[in-house]
Amino acid sequence: MAKHVPGRKGPYIMLYALSTCPWCQKTKRLLDELGVDYYYEDVDLLSGDARRDVMVDVERWNPNRSFPTIVIDDSRCIIGFQENELRNLLKV
Amino acid sequence: MNTEPVINQDEIDRLYLRLKKEAEDSGYYLNPDTDFTKALIRSLIINEGRYGYWACPCRLADGIKSEDLDIICPCDYRDADLVQYDTCY
Repeated sequence: MAKHVPGRKGPYIMLYALSTCPWCQKTKRLLDELGVDYYYEDVDLLSGDARRDVMVDVERWNPNRSFPTIVIDDSRCIIGFQENELRNLLKV
Repeated sequence: MNTEPVINQDEIDRLYLRLKKEAEDSGYYLNPDTDFTKALIRSLIINEGRYGYWACPCRLADGIKSEDLDIICPCDYRDADLVQYDTCY
């Protein structure tokens, strides 16, 4: 079950992350700084069917299965820590 | 419940110095952003505790060593990543 970080309502943001990945941590900090509402899943902390199901979603957007993978409004995907792109897309 | 692993800062600092020397002896440099690099090293220690080996903190490990050989640090993708991103992924 993805964790919800409440914030300013806007596009639906789903961040697929690894708890160990500093680039993912930077992405979370940026989303926190921007104050947007988002959901995230630390995939390395999942196991079994839950992990498999989430990775099916990740792979649909990012066949390389790399992290962070950010899906916006279920229509657009940003791969990696793309600070400028996220700032431009999510600015007030 | 807090499941955050407790990692000793001295252990991170010692491993940082060891990896810095090993990298430079091989013609590589660690990221000069030491806070970032030490966060990575902390995660390598976490993964060593989880899996028994240094699975890349930025790639999803299976937890089966024979399946993860390509992502054990320094991973098979390091040089390609250096070319593409100027840093490992």
